[in-house]
Amino acid sequence: MELQYFLLLAAALFCIGIYGLVTSRNAIRVLMSIELLLNAVTLNLMAFSNYLDPMVIRGQVFTVFVITIAAAESAVGLAIVLSIYRNRDTVDMEQFNLLKW
Amino acid sequence: MDFANLSAQLNAGAILPEGIVIITLLVTLVWDLIVGRSSTKVTPYVAIVGLLIATGTLFLQWDTTEPISFLGSFNGDAISLIFRGIIAISAAVTIPISIRYVEQSGTSLAEFITILLTATVGGMFLSGADELVMIFVSLETLSISSYLLTGYMKRDPRSNEAALKYLLIGAASSAIFLYGISLLYGLSGGETRLSAITASIISNGLDESLGLVIALVFVIAGIAFKIAAVPFHQWTPDVYEGSPTPVVAFLSVGSKAAGFALAVRLLVSAFPLVSDQWRFVLTALAILSMVLGNVVALAQTSMKRLLAYSSIAQAGFLMIGLIVGTDAGYSSMVFYLMIYLFMNLGGFACVILFTLRTGTDEINEYSGLYQKDPLLTLALSICLLSLGGIPPLAGFFGKIYLFWAGWQAGAYGLVLIGLITSVISIYYYIRVVKTMVVKEPQEMSEAVANYPEIQWNLTGMRPLQVSIVVALVFTSLAGVLANPLFNLATGSVSKTPMLQATEPMTPVVSQAPEQLPMPTVESVDL
Amino acid sequence: MNLAEGVQIVSLGVLAFLMLATSLGVVLLDNIVYSAFLLGGVFISISGLYILLNAGFVAAAQILIYVGAVNVLILFGIMLVNKRQDFTPVRNAWLGKAATAIVCFGLFALLSTMVLATAWPISSGPIAGDAALVEIGKHFFSDYLLPFELASVLLLMALIGAIVLARREFLPEEMVDSTDEVLTLPERRRELTSTPRQ
Repeated sequence: MELQYFLLLAAALFCIGIYGLVTSRNAIRVLMSIELLLNAVTLNLMAFSNYLDPMVIRGQVFTVFVITIAAAESAVGLAIVLSIYRNRDTVDMEQFNLLKW
Repeated sequence: MDFANLSAQLNAGAILPEGIVIITLLVTLVWDLIVGRSSTKVTPYVAIVGLLIATGTLFLQWDTTEPISFLGSFNGDAISLIFRGIIAISAAVTIPISIRYVEQSGTSLAEFITILLTATVGGMFLSGADELVMIFVSLETLSISSYLLTGYMKRDPRSNEAALKYLLIGAASSAIFLYGISLLYGLSGGETRLSAITASIISNGLDESLGLVIALVFVIAGIAFKIAAVPFHQWTPDVYEGSPTPVVAFLSVGSKAAGFALAVRLLVSAFPLVSDQWRFVLTALAILSMVLGNVVALAQTSMKRLLAYSSIAQAGFLMIGLIVGTDAGYSSMVFYLMIYLFMNLGGFACVILFTLRTGTDEINEYSGLYQKDPLLTLALSICLLSLGGIPPLAGFFGKIYLFWAGWQAGAYGLVLIGLITSVISIYYYIRVVKTMVVKEPQEMSEAVANYPEIQWNLTGMRPLQVSIVVALVFTSLAGVLANPLFNLATGSVSKTPMLQATEPMTPVVSQAPEQLPMPTVESVDL
Repeated sequence: MNLAEGVQIVSLGVLAFLMLATSLGVVLLDNIVYSAFLLGGVFISISGLYILLNAGFVAAAQILIYVGAVNVLILFGIMLVNKRQDFTPVRNAWLGKAATAIVCFGLFALLSTMVLATAWPISSGPIAGDAALVEIGKHFFSDYLLPFELASVLLLMALIGAIVLARREFLPEEMVDSTDEVLTLPERRRELTSTPRQ
């Protein structure tokens, strides 16, 4: 078993997340893509923690923090999506153009 | 490690200012729970007092000899003190200008202040965070509270939309930032303290690896998002236009200052090995920000969007100080941020006042304002002219110092672009001033023609007036009486070990691209 | 964890395949509900990978928080928001998707070159293994005490903020007439041209 396998997996997950982030039109799917990105990062951290820092395991501690904050972020994200849905009756990103880019 | 031993090592006094802000936050929240809606008479003032006390304690720590606390998580050195002070004061000025605004929009003030204080705490911790986990947690504290503030007017579709865009782009950029951080953790073989990272990267023999450069690029993407540098500025105009104006005022000063604090600490102490590369990338970002920010601002019709692009351009100017990396560079950046704090907040306070009275923020609607409200016209004109850098005002001295520091360090191209773009910027600032002052009475816009009688005795109007006057006085006098601020800025740089120690490590220009002159070591002797 | 080398390799392969397949499903499937369930699959396979990385506690936390909280939250969000609507198609959408896919492939190529080219400083020391939990606890109360405490402030704020934003305003009857305009920004609203509201 090698560190590189895990890092490659994390890189692949990261790129899939980026793809989803850019192409999704549903706001909730964009939130899911962000979760994928964060999971790629935690996978990276856990792999480093196991192979480079096995005794002090700072990476595992970091991962716990990332998980905590990801949960908070998705709660806030869904609250915002709900409030926009109430006003606009859609979650389509293409429709959110009251403000021009 | 037993408890007594541990608590002795923590050096918890270094985070006393943040502690005070957190206590203020809890007091605001609990007081609102107990008293109910009538708490709005007290809570904003409690919050302002708390923030000012926190700023005072920051001053008391100026001469601290032991900046490192919490076993290396936090570094309360002089430069962090300055940045934390800027953030705390920007929050303290934002609260009085938001009271009336929040009241008038019918939302609850106590929660608004609580969230704003959390953002402040996040920003203050971010300025001193000296460890990757701490950086991440404080960055997210700042960002998540900013998303919440942006969407605070939840019945307004524009505010919702701004919040959604800010959240999605912000969360994505912090995930990318985090990926860079995780690479840094891996390259250093399991270090998370910034001061230890470089040493272990060198001892692992990875100082010229591709990984370090990729980590750098990802980290800069995260930072550039926070300071709204082109091309990571896409969210700025939308968020500024859609969100409540007091929030914009805080985002454009407090959040930006926190971003710069992060940039200084992270780039200087964790990436000295690739300092040529990051200076190069930042130079590109600075040029793009100055050019694009100032040119696009010319075409804006909404005052908030104008200020959004102007703040993008100002970020470009500020980056000059960071790029040259000399003592003068850093201190000019700090000095300009201190002045920018007051002139920008003053500008936003005036925009808020005008909005509250007329319900619009289109630039055309300002025409003829001089005849109806001379104080507002005067304050807005002074702040805008100072942002543009017109001589006797504070902004002029800030810009001169920045450009001078850049010139001294040999960044000629950057300084020339800065000069040219500030001349462009004067045009659009003057245009607003001209609209307000020069128009004949019959050219007065409808909004101004129906301008309500000036009343200062409504709830929350008095604090707004006070902060406009404070910003006005400061902006007009700070340039002439700049010495204390100037000493503060230079002191903060010369007292910071991080900035001093890395100076000799800054590699000499030779590898830098030709058209972008980089600082030489000789230019430090100021 | 004392699994034989072969078992580890096989389970890594299975988990990796599951993770990639489900995460592709999350971004590619048209039906958002399927995506949400597949997201749960991603989280579970990642937690399996954590077990392979000798981190039982974090694996459990991953399942509890991601699958138990985040994923359920997302499903709730979908249920609350989802009205069966087809997004109006945008012309030449495939072009953007193809371009994005190419960029993502490029990014992946770059990252994998970096991963393979770097000589990671692999440690040969002992592995914390089951003592990891104790170690994490020690970290939380020594060198990561400050972020730990700050996270509590952050969570408090996320709680308050999410309630403030997502709560429906119940206003007394007599106030209802005036609320429509009161709760908007003091700035005048732009024309809502883009979405005709029914």
